[in-house]
Amino acid sequence: MWQKNKPYLLLLPAISVIVLLFFGGLFDGLLKSFGYFPAIGETRFTLTAYTALLRSSEFWESLELTLRVAMLSSLLAAILGAGIAISLFMLNKSANSGGTQIWHRLFQLPLTIPHLVGGYIIVLLFMQSGFISRIFANLGMIDAITEFPVLVNDSFGWGIILTYAWKEAPFVSLLIYPVLSRIHRSWRDVARVFGASNWNFIREIVLPVILPAWTIATFIVFVFTFSAFEVPFLIGVTYPTVLPVYSYQLYTSGTLADRPEALAVNIVLAVLTVLLGLVVYYFSKRWNVLKGWD
Amino acid sequence: MKNYLVVTSGILALSLAACAQQDPTSNAEDADNLLVDDWQQVSELAAGQKVNIYMWGGSENINRYLDEWVAPRLKEDHNVELNRVPMSDSQDIINQLLDEKSAAKTAGSMDIIWINGENFKTAKDNDLLWQEFSGQLPNFNDYVDQNAPDIASDFGEPVEGLEAPWGKAQFVFVHDKNKSENPPKSMEELAQWVEANPGQFTYPALPDFTGSAFVRHVLYETTGGYEQYQKPAADIDDLATQLEPMWDYLNALEPYLWREGETYPESLVKQDQLFATGEIGMTMSYDPILAASEVLKGRFPESTRTFVLDAGTLANTHFLSIPFNSSAKAGAMVAINEMMSPEAQTAKLSPENWGNLTALDLDKLSAEQQQAMNDVELGAATLSLDELEEHQIPELSADYIEIIEKGWMENVAKE
Repeated sequence: MWQKNKPYLLLLPAISVIVLLFFGGLFDGLLKSFGYFPAIGETRFTLTAYTALLRSSEFWESLELTLRVAMLSSLLAAILGAGIAISLFMLNKSANSGGTQIWHRLFQLPLTIPHLVGGYIIVLLFMQSGFISRIFANLGMIDAITEFPVLVNDSFGWGIILTYAWKEAPFVSLLIYPVLSRIHRSWRDVARVFGASNWNFIREIVLPVILPAWTIATFIVFVFTFSAFEVPFLIGVTYPTVLPVYSYQLYTSGTLADRPEALAVNIVLAVLTVLLGLVVYYFSKRWNVLKGWD
Repeated sequence: MKNYLVVTSGILALSLAACAQQDPTSNAEDADNLLVDDWQQVSELAAGQKVNIYMWGGSENINRYLDEWVAPRLKEDHNVELNRVPMSDSQDIINQLLDEKSAAKTAGSMDIIWINGENFKTAKDNDLLWQEFSGQLPNFNDYVDQNAPDIASDFGEPVEGLEAPWGKAQFVFVHDKNKSENPPKSMEELAQWVEANPGQFTYPALPDFTGSAFVRHVLYETTGGYEQYQKPAADIDDLATQLEPMWDYLNALEPYLWREGETYPESLVKQDQLFATGEIGMTMSYDPILAASEVLKGRFPESTRTFVLDAGTLANTHFLSIPFNSSAKAGAMVAINEMMSPEAQTAKLSPENWGNLTALDLDKLSAEQQQAMNDVELGAATLSLDELEEHQIPELSADYIEIIEKGWMENVAKE
């Protein structure tokens, strides 16, 4: 009995903390989003916050921006990440030197930088009076710093998208690389014998092999960028903002009456994230990603 | 293995229990005594207490003044340990207190809070503050003009002893005299200046505190003065129509702002950064001496100067308060009293420390204390205290602010 339940019991302390703090907070948010807020004397359950939200144009514009940013960020990160992983893999297979280790570390560097810091670095580098713009102006490549293209705080969200692409690409490559490293060296030799070029080899063998892990990684990035706050807050524009920032603005706008609406935004975010998570789970089940393929 | 499990579960249970444990010093009886005891007894109770001060942490100067000037002296003179907890917005302090109140947490972690008028009203309406303590503080009784309108009420809300004045602030515009020799003297002139210098002006996106204050100046000057806004918002019929000229002014300004008004800096910190790097030619501050301390630090150019409008700029008093569930009320009282002492207020005035105007009444100070205040070098960027004094106009009542901040999103940012 003890042997059978041991792993669960050992996990108990960690799980209780998560359940208490995480689900506690989520549940509290859910109650408040239904207008149940005893601290200000509201004890009825209503759907007012949700109907107000779905009727406001801010919410829809915000949702559109959030989806656009999350999709483009995850697509770019996926392409970049796969590029990095495959390049490293080919480098490894063709050369047996210590040099590849350095490349590995270099590409993993962005993983160690927190998002907030990353976002701020991008601001300092790319704002019109930023570091790069000044270098250009001093070199005479542009006459005035105002000629430097607007890359941060732009209304399309390119600044946010590029920041995420740069931050998440190493994460994608990190998830793909273990799968790649299982490709036997002999396969490449066999492919060569049959006259396959590098490109044929990548297309016919490497891509199909990494596809499951690649899709999952992209989904994870999508879900993350969908609900992250700090980068859009620093690099976004005042209006429209992504949903997490919109929720923050509602929450901090000073009146307690807006609380339910702010939390309703969070609940909508959480529900969408869970739905996306289920989609990922369904695919991973179907493709047996988590099983070996020997 | 089994032991390990028992230990971890035990630790978890204990830590959860600790969260819920009551602090013996915070029971109601003791707390009520603090309001009638003589100061000597309060000081004795405070000795050895650790006091957490929750405050906006966005200014290096303010943080340094607290950590390096106030805290060591409190430790030395009163054996009170002051621990500063930085918050990104004073609204967060109120949010946390509200949550603690709904969770019925009687031994809170906040002992002193620094809040603005808008938050004060929320806190007062929801009973988040302790009781009327300021009358107990010797420095409040000795040096403060308690009947002055800006001490007796905070953004139109009667203070009733729930908070103690810590300093005064006045809104000033900050500019670079090499870029604009004759700064504008009214909102109308400002609009002309902005049109003549496209891309050189912006203001932080509301609900930023300073951005919101800028918009209030626009309100006063485009809708006929401040007097009418001294009564609650609910008493004005047809407020929406009355605010129209303000939105029109701001929207007319928008195409000539930084980045054509497509976006606004999300905080004053970002706006100051833009000014420091020369991307914009004007910024603003609710602190008339702050520009001088930024020059001292080398962030702002030497040619930085400040100016006020002919019709005056907003001035207010900022206060310190003690939350209902503070676990070290005696220590909090001693710390607040210390921060109101003439020495601490004089140090606070210096741009090298913070550069914040005093909340004390100069006439109540001794000759030496007045001399010490007047000797503080305020820096070339700062206007004289007389000039500031002559151009002060009062804040409006807090319920307008909410209406303006919401309306700004709707009428300006969205357009």
